[in-house]
Amino acid sequence: MKINNVALYFLLFFTVFCSSTIAAENSATYSDTSASKIKINLVLAEQSGEYHSPYVAAWLENDKNQAVRNLVLWRTKAKWLKDIRRWWRKIGRKDQQLVDGITSATRGVGSYPLTFKALDDNGNILPQGNYTLFIEVVREKGGRAIVKQAITLSNSPVHHTIKATPETGEIHITFTP
Amino acid sequence: MKKIIGLFIATTMSIGLISQVQAHSRWLLPSHYNMSSEKGLWLMADATASNEVFNIDKALSIDVLRILTPKGKLDKPSSVYKGHRKSVIDYFVADSGTYKLTNNYPASYRTRYKLNGKNKRLLASKAELTEKLPKGASDVSTTLSYARVETYVTMNNPSDNFGQDGTMLELLPITHPSDIVEGEQAKFKFVFNGKAIAGVQVEIILEGVRYRNDPQVTSLVSNDKGEISFTPKSAGRYLLIAEFERTAKNQQLADLESSEVFLSFEAQLN
Repeated sequence: MKINNVALYFLLFFTVFCSSTIAAENSATYSDTSASKIKINLVLAEQSGEYHSPYVAAWLENDKNQAVRNLVLWRTKAKWLKDIRRWWRKIGRKDQQLVDGITSATRGVGSYPLTFKALDDNGNILPQGNYTLFIEVVREKGGRAIVKQAITLSNSPVHHTIKATPETGEIHITFTP
Repeated sequence: MKKIIGLFIATTMSIGLISQVQAHSRWLLPSHYNMSSEKGLWLMADATASNEVFNIDKALSIDVLRILTPKGKLDKPSSVYKGHRKSVIDYFVADSGTYKLTNNYPASYRTRYKLNGKNKRLLASKAELTEKLPKGASDVSTTLSYARVETYVTMNNPSDNFGQDGTMLELLPITHPSDIVEGEQAKFKFVFNGKAIAGVQVEIILEGVRYRNDPQVTSLVSNDKGEISFTPKSAGRYLLIAEFERTAKNQQLADLESSEVFLSFEAQLN
């Protein structure tokens, strides 16, 4: 019985090992986009008066308005997550694990260069196509901004600039395949 | 102590009278339509009868206020306060999902008549009129009447907890109340005694009528599938008033059947 178990574990380990090797090889040969990067230079604008660091979310939606990749969540209390309105409706309320997995602390005024692999929430390569990048910024006792940028993932690099809002400075987005 | 009891009864009676005689709009206005929490949060809601959305006017009696939980349990508020202008409830929202708040008094028979040139009303069915109607009454008409006053509150992820019970007019969300967004089409369905019903008269009013010259009422009529669709122009809280009246099925008891739904909801920022 014991031997059987050991054999079974070995077989299991061997299988997992082999399949992961195959997966890695496949992704290298499948598509160049495995190395693709989305870069966002996210700028939180200077404010006057009472200031609470904003709750910030950034995510990608596909051409059917479905969220496919959650990129950023800077937050504190769960009680205020609903105030990141669109993000809460599209992502936050549906997937507690995802929320926990990407959560990090809020940040104050400043410029934040962020880099992401072009993957979906399950770690799979995002298929080439049209997406919209959303960035939602909400301050307690302050304003809200939601900015969006259509972005095409293809073999060509792209660069976009999102105009400043009262909550955000000029935001630069690049995609390098 | 006697004084307090006297005051309470007087208030209750006057509320009863108001809802029958003047047919004010009524609503349940929750402190939050959508909440996020891992541990649960307190909810409060106002219950009031008023023709000025959403400024309070006269307190609604809330003895029948119930909360249908996502698990299907029917809860009562943990505490209530009845003022002159509004009633208030407190309730702890513990679980994820959608809660349905209702304040529905049982259906009742209401008879209108004229006596010496004055309009009068009586809580009685046609079967009771020989006993209760005063001599000399004219223009007698009896209506079986039922009103729903309701709203939906969602903690975290919404669930389809619409509590359909098959009594007279009901509003069944097609678009979940938690998914109503400015600039996007929303759909509701109406059923009467459980069946889709055309011809329901619907009005949808954005809050803040006190500060507008034009009340901006959206008027709609349900189609053959019992459905209405509308696109809220702006985010905010809305009151939906739906009415349906028809000849009564049981002519022994009433001439007409009339039913209303008062739903408050929010359209969220997009």
